[in-house]
Amino acid sequence: MRVNAGNLKKGEFVFFQGEICQVQKADFYSPGKGAALMKARLKNLISAKNVEYAYKSNEQVEVLDVASVDMQYIYKDQENLYFMDERTFNQSALPISVVGEISRFFKEGEKMFVYMFDDKPLTIRPPMSVRLKIIEADDAAKGDTVSGAKKPVTVETGATVMVPIFVKVGETISINPETGEYTGRV
Amino acid sequence: MKIVTQIKNLENYKIYLQVEKAVHGFMEKNNYLKVDLPVLSPALIPESYLEIFETEFNYFDKKEKLYLTPSPEIFLKRLLVAGVGNCYYLGRAYRNSEPNSDWHSSEFTMLEFYKLGINYLEMAEEVLKLLQEISNKVKNPSFAKATEGKQKLKFDRWEKYSVTEAFEKFAGIKKEELFNEKLFIKKAKNKGFNIDNTGYEDLFSQMLAAEVEPKLGVSGYPTLLYDLPKQMASLAKLNDDGLTAQRCEFYINGLEVGGFCTELNDYKEQQKRFILEAKKRKQNKMIDHTIDKGFVKALKYGLPFCTGAGIGFERLVMIFSNTKSIDELKLISIK
Repeated sequence: MRVNAGNLKKGEFVFFQGEICQVQKADFYSPGKGAALMKARLKNLISAKNVEYAYKSNEQVEVLDVASVDMQYIYKDQENLYFMDERTFNQSALPISVVGEISRFFKEGEKMFVYMFDDKPLTIRPPMSVRLKIIEADDAAKGDTVSGAKKPVTVETGATVMVPIFVKVGETISINPETGEYTGRV
Repeated sequence: MKIVTQIKNLENYKIYLQVEKAVHGFMEKNNYLKVDLPVLSPALIPESYLEIFETEFNYFDKKEKLYLTPSPEIFLKRLLVAGVGNCYYLGRAYRNSEPNSDWHSSEFTMLEFYKLGINYLEMAEEVLKLLQEISNKVKNPSFAKATEGKQKLKFDRWEKYSVTEAFEKFAGIKKEELFNEKLFIKKAKNKGFNIDNTGYEDLFSQMLAAEVEPKLGVSGYPTLLYDLPKQMASLAKLNDDGLTAQRCEFYINGLEVGGFCTELNDYKEQQKRFILEAKKRKQNKMIDHTIDKGFVKALKYGLPFCTGAGIGFERLVMIFSNTKSIDELKLISIK
């Protein structure tokens, strides 16, 4: 689908210099002395590198029509995360560098959506929230009663999250995986 | 539009008021006359990159097109011609076809001021003093953080780059490539810019926005970017090198906050630029507004040697309130 670059949105996929990129950020910007621009940060889904680019806002850009496929996250190794399509049992690998920091919160066996284009996996669609159990936490330091005080805890995937001091080991919490923030107890 | 059930952004708005007060204080102390101006005008300067808002005055059979001013310049320059002397305007300006984003609002606040007898580089010192004054007056513990290293921003000096230096350092463009349109376009193509139906001016803006601007004003000091190519001169005087204009812009945390230029007082040159801009507006199918011919006449009458500065006031406040978008400064908005 062709759109004006001025209507590009975060999360969409485009071809940039012949390679598929995902829009990480897109901000309208008019310098007043040249064409109105769309300042975009594009992540190359092969090299995992971000590139800053400025489109003219009226430039036509091809936004890729991607499918999002329900898959199960099965395991990871040093480089990749592996997913399985539960209907076809086909496995797909995605580089950790492409998926990014968010993969710290993936638990084996969880269902997730993977974006596909021409039957090739691109990246995952970030879940709104993940639920994980706390496996390690210090007791709050004595006397630390300041409201809103936080402490670091480790969740079952090994990631560290800042939580309010009253949250304890064994509890399950919800986390916004994109920001890594604690959003509540479950 | 939604109703308001809770006052939001009050702390940021209070900083907005403090910055406003500091600006008025600075201007008064330095003998700039505060002027209030109409925001509706029957004619405008043709500018091919700014779309405008059009409205109509009606009285029985009489109908007159009026336009919301995208900048206070047409009125301020008339006053300068008439001998008002150093003056400033802090008020609303309107630009159509610019969606509300973190850095844009179609209705925004502009600080524009003129000082007689100085050029653009001398104005840079004046603007620095203004920033210092604001920084001294605004009380906000979290204000004015620099992007890199998160240290507090300092306003005791500029970090200065000519456009030539900045393009060489941040975009790898040599001087001979920057000022030669053919070579520049070729270079842009090699970098992956889409050059179809795109001329030098647009590619310059695109490369500036993508590769240069993110590096400006991020090291703890505001950055002055000076001597823009003559193609981007707008209403600025040209330099003797024949390549650049006496125009600069300043950046804080990668964002352009304002700009200034030695004002063009050659009415013939101004008239030429008017015709060119009006032609481009027509080609781009923009609103066909009445052209302010009186503006050229005023310049013919005689604009004194001066430099004018324009600052996006909300962007300025964003620096001192450490906010990321214009919207965070507003108690109420139409968004």
